Amino acid sequence: MSEIKIIFIETDGTEKIVENAKLGATMMDVARANGIDGILGDCGGGCACATCHVYVDPAWQAVVGNPDEIEEMTLDMAGEVQANSRLSCQLVLNSEMDGIKVTVAPLV
Amino acid sequence: MNSSQPSAGSACPYSGKPLADLSLTDPLIQAYPTSFYQTLRSEEPVHFDAKLGMWLVSRYEDIVTLLRDPDTYSDKHGYEAQYASGYFEEFKEILEREGGGFFSDAIKSDPPYHTRIRKLLEKAFTAHRVKALEPGITKIVADLADKFAEKAANGNVVDGVKEFAIPLTIAVICEQMGIDQYNGEKISRWSVAITAQIGRMQNRESMIANAKEICDLQNFIIAQMKDREQSPREDMISDLVHASTEDGEKLTFAEAVSLIRALIIAGNDTTATAIGNLLFILATKPELAQELYDNVEDSRYMNRFVEELLRYAPPVRGLAKMTTCETELGGQKLPKGAHMLVLYASGNADETRFECPQQFDTGRGNLGSHVAFGVGIHRCIGASLARMEINVAAKELIKRVKNIKLAIPMDELKYQPTVATHTIESLPMLLERRV
Repeated sequence: MSEIKIIFIETDGTEKIVENAKLGATMMDVARANGIDGILGDCGGGCACATCHVYVDPAWQAVVGNPDEIEEMTLDMAGEVQANSRLSCQLVLNSEMDGIKVTVAPLV
Repeated sequence: MNSSQPSAGSACPYSGKPLADLSLTDPLIQAYPTSFYQTLRSEEPVHFDAKLGMWLVSRYEDIVTLLRDPDTYSDKHGYEAQYASGYFEEFKEILEREGGGFFSDAIKSDPPYHTRIRKLLEKAFTAHRVKALEPGITKIVADLADKFAEKAANGNVVDGVKEFAIPLTIAVICEQMGIDQYNGEKISRWSVAITAQIGRMQNRESMIANAKEICDLQNFIIAQMKDREQSPREDMISDLVHASTEDGEKLTFAEAVSLIRALIIAGNDTTATAIGNLLFILATKPELAQELYDNVEDSRYMNRFVEELLRYAPPVRGLAKMTTCETELGGQKLPKGAHMLVLYASGNADETRFECPQQFDTGRGNLGSHVAFGVGIHRCIGASLARMEINVAAKELIKRVKNIKLAIPMDELKYQPTVATHTIESLPMLLERRV
């Protein structure tokens, strides 16, 4: 398997399914390439801007794990942060994530 | 009263005057812009400053709209129209004759070209890469803070900008770029000369002096590049000299010179300005200085402190864009070719976005949404490095000193004459060393 499925829920509730997300890419790259609303990725994946903030579906939280200290600090500035918040630029896709569901966080 | 931008009292240049009579070219407005920005936001949020020949964009919402639409608002054309304004041809000739060539700024460009250049640089500046640099930078800053505190402890007036902020950022960028032998004063002059090209306050005489400084800078960069071509090292100049894009294309010589120039200068002047602002705030808000000291080991507080500092006193005041077609912004119709000045500092003070904007509040819920680093594809690439430098500077200094005070009355402070940044030129201060 070199590709997985990701289900994005945009802030207005629209569901967008990407079937061919490449393993090893970041979720932010996939979202930008597929025009997911609200995933901007201004800093290019540097964990510096929090414009790629998502809420990971609780069923998938164990698979993605917790943010590291640096990501937590950037998330702290983001606003609207929840226990399942992650920056999608820090989520490198692996085969266990096939079918993962995330909701795009609103930009504050 | 906002103590970071004290009112000029009876000399206040805008009290009671209609907007049409005011201009950002006025050095007094440049030094104390708070009320001017407020008037712009409430009366004419997209306002044509006739003397400057530019449209001033002052509201948060309009700033973000503009920055998120690089096709309509060209960075390249806005920047080029601003650069060496009024003297461009003569400026260019001097650089071609004495500075190895005129190298236009590769990063001040539009997509798709910009995307290619930007991608090359992004990896060097991620928050994780920058974190790895923290111990080395802490050492540089701690040494400098020791010297600064020691000089002040003898009862001497110290200059927070010239003896702390500027040498600090220069030492850091030279370490990054792999420049071991350097003359700090020269690099400081080069920074001023480059920044002046977008400041709109140059006369011909100062343009010529600045052009000569830039020639000197470029000749220095070209020599450094030649050295790395022959013997590559683990530093950023080597990275750029040997860099190639995803499609295997190498940077041209001109692109590499322009990017190294941009990296040496862009992160230098702006970060020094931010650290100057930090010292000013510590000197004028003793309760905040105490709060900082009490929380110095709390990394969450320190991060929020830095972010609020950037919102409250953003180093970059205004950068240029140009419309590529007829459009409308904030209810104002704009022709094609309209030269825009995006007032980041006004966006950060927009009361519809930030409650009590003149209050320094590290507890804000929307702290991270300030526009000090810009927004969109041109968002500051060095943001993580800048944050870390400011963070380490605040921490290392407050651990060593107390009772920080200005050594001159607030309204005698000098600001750099420029529309591009809000920069304290010199900050005489008194402080005591903690025992």
